Parts: sequence; structure tokens; C-alpha cells
Amino acid sequence: MAAEEKFDVIVVGAGLAGSTAAYVLAKEGLQVLLIERGRQAGAKNMTGGIIYSRVVHEVFPNFWEEAPVERAITSYNIVFLGENSAVTLNLKAPGLGKPPYNAFSVLRAKFDRWIAGKAEEAGATLVTGVTVDELVMENGKVKGIKSGSDELLADVVIDAEGAKSLLVEKAGLRGDFKPEDVSVGVKELIELPEETVNERFNVGGGEGASYTLVGYTKGVAGGGFLYTNKASISLGIVARIDMLVEKQVKVHELIEDYKVHPFISKLIEGGNVAEYSAQIIHEGGIAQVPRLYSDGFLAAGSSACLLINNLFTLRGMDLAVASGAAAARAVLKAKERNDFSASSLSAYESLLREAFILTDMEAFRRTPSLLNNRRFFTVYPDLACSVMEELFSVNPAPSEKAFKVVRRHMKGKAGLLDVLRDLLGVYRAL
Amino acid sequence: MDKRLGLNKYEIDSESHIEVDKELCEKCEAKPCLFVCPAEVYKLEDGKLVYSYEDCLECGTCIIACKGMGRGAVNWRNPRGGFGIVYRYG
Amino acid sequence: MEIIVCAKYALDVAEIKIDPSGKPLLDGVPRRVSDIDKNAMEAAVNIKEKQGGTIKVVCFGPASAKEGLKELLAMGADEAYLVEDPSGGMLDTAATVEALAAAIQKIGSFDLILCGEATTDGYTGQVGPRLAGKLGIPQITYARNLNVEGNSVTAERDLEDAYETVKAPTPVLVSVTREINVPRIPSLMAILKASKKPMTIWKLEDLGLSKEKLEQVSTLQTVDLQGFAVERKRVVIKDKPVEEAVQELVSYLMKEKALGV
Ligand SMILES: Cc1cc2nc3c(=O)[nH]c(=O)nc-3n(C[C@H](O)[C@H](O)[C@H](O)COP(=O)(O)OP(=O)(O)OC[C@H]3O[C@@H](n4cnc5c(N)ncnc54)[C@H](O)[C@@H]3O)c2cc1C
Repeated sequence: MAAEEKFDVIVVGAGLAGSTAAYVLAKEGLQVLLIERGRQAGAKNMTGGIIYSRVVHEVFPNFWEEAPVERAITSYNIVFLGENSAVTLNLKAPGLGKPPYNAFSVLRAKFDRWIAGKAEEAGATLVTGVTVDELVMENGKVKGIKSGSDELLADVVIDAEGAKSLLVEKAGLRGDFKPEDVSVGVKELIELPEETVNERFNVGGGEGASYTLVGYTKGVAGGGFLYTNKASISLGIVARIDMLVEKQVKVHELIEDYKVHPFISKLIEGGNVAEYSAQIIHEGGIAQVPRLYSDGFLAAGSSACLLINNLFTLRGMDLAVASGAAAARAVLKAKERNDFSASSLSAYESLLREAFILTDMEAFRRTPSLLNNRRFFTVYPDLACSVMEELFSVNPAPSEKAFKVVRRHMKGKAGLLDVLRDLLGVYRAL
Repeated sequence: MDKRLGLNKYEIDSESHIEVDKELCEKCEAKPCLFVCPAEVYKLEDGKLVYSYEDCLECGTCIIACKGMGRGAVNWRNPRGGFGIVYRYG
Repeated sequence: MEIIVCAKYALDVAEIKIDPSGKPLLDGVPRRVSDIDKNAMEAAVNIKEKQGGTIKVVCFGPASAKEGLKELLAMGADEAYLVEDPSGGMLDTAATVEALAAAIQKIGSFDLILCGEATTDGYTGQVGPRLAGKLGIPQITYARNLNVEGNSVTAERDLEDAYETVKAPTPVLVSVTREINVPRIPSLMAILKASKKPMTIWKLEDLGLSKEKLEQVSTLQTVDLQGFAVERKRVVIKDKPVEEAVQELVSYLMKEKALGV
């Protein structure tokens, strides 16, 4: 079917990256079509749940005043899970619960609808319930999109389809993903009354806690998270695909293990599981980032593998917003020249640098290899727990000095040299 | 697993968005799909792979596992517009 | 052929939760076009595709029903009319019919009114028949098949244990079953085109009606609403030759009255 309309830009996917790109472009008066395969924006999207505010605030000033955020995170925790115990590092910072805030927990079904609504308000045309199946290509140049038998052309296609990035592959910008670079994340949404969440996590109304969970994953590289929403908890785990196969472990078994761990079980007690969701996540770092643009085509958000995992924080959503905005700005520049070739669109890369995205990812380029080190999720969490347990319990036996205790527990699990090397690795990576 | 997936909302399409190349799949010994799919879409029945696309969470794991560690027999595409998993929370 | 389709923006029953005491929680439940009304729209589009004409869709519902109407326009309606219901869905079918009839009279001429046999939320099945009564036109209910020829409509009615073929002159109202067709999924272009099609929004007052007047005719009250959760039966038939397994499955389904034979 021939197109009777012509859009300047077609954006594929009304997730965070796509809706932001459409918003920025429409605000500048471009004709933008935003296509989402879910019945509504957000219907297909899941995440762990913490969005860091700074970058989002730059594009949507004071977004927290109107966006459906769950809680402002004021309590940050890292938990090393042992067999029956847990060692927790906690940062309580009530100051982070005030504007401009550090981070919020969000639920995507609501949040994405809000941000897609912003794009519509700005003048973008949002079409939901439509899957983009193919790109229209001509001599390697992207000319438009195909959906079923419909074809629609545009000057530029911004691909914001998320982590599966099937179109990025079709555009020839990336090869196959490697199982060791990709994890699968699953999450259970556990409903609890708002007051129970406040009490249990010792937070005021509107404030919330985040827990990064380390260890207790049957030796599979990965880790977990537990975040508080208004009246629910997001409990999830991220596990590397190759290791699930190697260890023949199922990822949902790991979440079951979590739920009966004494540290976690008491936090979710009495809760009602209301949803089970899953998505892949690219953890290969900067090395995994594909070519970001070609003639008539740009990739933003997780379809460009933009993600930072530095062991403590997982940042994909704010990077999606920032890269969506950067892609839009690159298109605006290209529009001034009326040249949408790859070289004209290359401003995208410098804009991403200016927004600190690529620079941040480069700074953490060593963390993926850190995550390769099995001791971090097998030996150390357990070690931390058993050492602390021994140090804090009073026994009839003569007391030993702390370092000796550590050495004794390390025996057979990790050599001193390994530990020193690992420490150096952490130092370099972070 | 049934119970867990039963919590979710799906708009089930009459056509499958997953296809498995039987010949390739039969040659695959590792069958990584059996371990990695968080919805257990892929199962063995009498030694043969069966799959229930209706349960798919559209996470993308099987595409990568099958290509990278299996034989690339799984052909996964996005379900038609509006169909498949519908997250109420996400 | 001038066709009017009546469609409800119904509660999405898959989204209704039940509290521990068995009460369905209806607040904030998302809505969607009632499934069977989409069958009615598809039937209308099929007729139009064969012999031309116009399709207008009418809905009595909340302001948010615009979303649903957009979908029906994308399926192939030419124009949409929304009569805003100020009651938040608290009125009965008599009031709905009052509003729809007034809207249809204001729209003017028509040959055929199509609606679903019932809506997927309330499932009263009353609106079609009552509307035909109110407008003083013949009606054919439970059509699983529909044929238009000149000024007459022939339909096959599904009577569960029999099919009855009936014929009526236009103007006529026909309510359809799910079996009549498979509603199309609007394509990208159809959705884009639909955004330019006219949608008229009427307040009750625009039709010479008022909330009070509708409340007067709305005499049916919901006294109690009790939900119940259906657990999966979890019956697994395995380790058997296929023929035996199928036999067992069939006899189980018959015992459960899941098969109507
Ligand atoms: C388990 C897990 C936990 C995470 N935790 C965090 C966290 O706490 N904090 C954080 O910042 N990040 C986190 N992330 C990462 C973050 O969720 C992603 O980086 C982010 O969602 C990427 O946003 P996006 O807009 O690029 O893509 P998405 O959110 O995936 O959006 C893509 C959109 O495109 C649509 N789409 C796709 N293909 C098509 C098509 N062909 N046609 C039409 N529409 C299409 C989809 O339906 C979707 O709406 C986590 C990820 C996972 C998996």
C-alpha cells in the first residue's frame, strides 16, 4: 500500500528511548511517527525498577511532579547473601529524597504511558498495536519501515526497539549476540500494602529502598535486586545466559531460592505475587555497543546495548532517555543540512559523549570482565557472611584476630593472591 | 510455572510467533532453550522438542541461547501488533 | 447500504481483580471494545467491501471510549459518534438504549444496525433487542452468518442445537455471535487513516436527554456482585498412546461438561 503521508522521522518503539526521541523531535516541529507493538506504550516493557533522575530531569525538568513515579529512593543497600545469613552495606541519605532527587522506583506500564503521552502532547503521532517487521532498505540505506504489507518512508528511522534489537541486526549494524555478554532478567512483582512497605523498610511515605543482592545464585554469574514501589516490591534476578546452560540451572529456580532465603523472605512476607516478567539485558559493556548509526538510521537505548552495570547500580533507563534525546538532536542537526547520510548523523556519537553516556560506559569498560570472575558471586558473598558471623558470635574457643578468621575461611576457596588480584581488579574497574 | 504465568495477562494470537526448524533442532544435543527460557516455553516430550508460544514473555533469551549455544533452530519474531504478553506493572 | 454499528467500551474482564471476600474490584479497571462488537464491525466492513455504503459507529460510554472508537474507525468505520455517559457506567440497559436510540435518530437514515449478541462485561444481551423495539424495526438475534441482498437481509441464527435461517426487510437490527467472523487487526495505514476520520462527541443534552431522565428509566439495580476464581484443573494425561490419551481427554472434557455433545 502506498503512503499518502510522509513523516520526517519514524521512531520504532515507544519505550523510554523512543518516546523521548519522538518528544524532542516533535517539540521542534518535525513530523514524527512513533510506532509501538504493544497495545499501549509500556505493555511490553519490564525493568528492575530504579531510574536515576539527573539525565531524565535534563530532558523533562521536574518530571517527578507529574510522572507516575513510585518512590524516591533514600536507602541504598548492598547485600551479600550467605547460606543462612547476610551482610549488608547501607547508605541512608534522606537528602536524596528531595528535589532534584537521586533516583526513583518506577513501573513501566504506567511510566511509559506517561512518557509516550508527552511525545503525543508535543505533536508526535503515536500508533500502538503495530509491529514493525522490517526496514525498507535501498543500497544499504534505510528508507523506511514495513509492517505487514504496509510500507512507510521517512528521512530517518530511529530504532528504539529495546534489547532484542532485531532491526539493528537487519540494518547490518551488529552481528550475533554472544551468550556470555547477555543476561536474562526475571522479576516478580509482589504486592504489599503501602504502610507495610513503609514500616518494613523503615522509610517515610513516598520514600523507598533499593537492595542489590550479591551471591546465592548457585554459582551462576549474576545478581539480584529488591526495590520498593508504592504498594509493592520488585524482586528479581539477572543471570548470564551461558552460565545457566553450563550449570543447567533455571533462572526462576534462583528466584525461588531467593524467596526462601531468611533475609529476603521476611521482607516479602505476606505479599501477593501479581506479575512475572522477563527481559534480556546486555552486560558486555562498551565493547558490545554496535555501530550506532548508518544512512537514514540511528539506534538508541537498549537496542544500542547502552547499559552500565558497575556491580552497585544498573543504569539502562536513564541512558535510554539520554540517548533518545541525543539521537533526536542528531536528526535535528541533519535536518538543517537536509542530509541524512551516516556522516551527517555521526553527530549522534559526539552528542552521546557530551551526555556522558559513552564516556561513562568507557570508564566502566572493565566491569564486564569483573563479572566474569566467578569468585565475586560464589566465594566472596559467602565468605563475607561466614567471617562476619564468626566475628560477631562469642564462642567458647579462644578468639582469633579478624584477619586470621578471614584466612581460615578462605582456605580451599580462594588464595591470598587471588584476592589481591581481585581487589586490584575492582579498583581498576570501579 | 503454570501458576506463575497464570498471573500474567496475555492476548493470545492464533498464529505462533515462534518457529523451530525441526531438522536443525534434532541435531542439537545441548538444547540450551530448555534451561534458559524463564517461561519454560520449550520442553522435551518423548525426546522431541515442543513449545508453547502462548506462554512466551518475549524476553529474547532463546534467540541468543539457541544461536550461540545451540544450532540456531529457533526462529523468533515479534508477535503481531497487540498480541502476546501484556504487562500490567512492568 | 447505510450501516450503523453499536459498540460498547466495556470493562476489560481480564483486568478485574477479586478481593479476599470475593468482591470484584471495579475501580480503575481498564476498558476495551467489547469483543463481540468487533465481530459486528467486521461484519459491517465485509458488507461494505462487497457492496459499498457507509459505516457509522455509535457508542454510549465514558470519554475514554474515544480510544476504542479510534480502533473501530481503523477497522473500517467511516465515522464515529460518542454519547458521553455522565454516570460512570452506573445506568442499566434501558438507559443505554434510550441514549443510543436518540443518537441514531439524530444521525438519521440507516438500513442496517449491527451489534454484538452481548457485551463481554455485563453480558445482558438486552441492548440489541431493546433498541430494535425502541426504534420499531425488525430484529434478528444471534446471527452466525449474514447476507444482504437488495433491501433484505438473510441471517443464520445460532440456536445452540439448531440453526435457523431468517429473512427480514431493511431497516433491520442484527445481533451477531463471535462465530460470524474473525475481526481484523487494523494495519498501520488503516490506523493512520482513521486518525483523520470524523468523530462526533455528544452530551446527553445535545440529544434532548439528561442524566436525570436516564436515571429515571434506569430501574434495574445491581444488588450484589460476587466473583469467583476458577483454578486450573491441572489434569495431565501422559505416558499413553495418542489414541488412548485423546479418548481420555474427550471423556474428561465431557464429564466436566466442557464439550457440548
Ligand atoms: C531485569 C532487568 C532489570 C533492570 N533494572 C534496571 C534498573 O533498575 N535501572 C535502570 O536504569 N535500568 C534497568 N534495566 C535496564 C532497562 O530496563 C533498559 O535499559 C531500558 O528498559 C531500555 O529502554 P529502551 O527504551 O531502550 O527499550 P525498551 O524499554 O525495551 O522499549 C522498547 C520498546 O519498543 C517496542 N518495540 C520493540 N520492537 C518493536 C517493533 N518491531 N515494532 C514496534 N515496537 C517495537 C517495545 O514494545 C517497547 O515498548 C534493567 C533491565 C532488566 C532486564
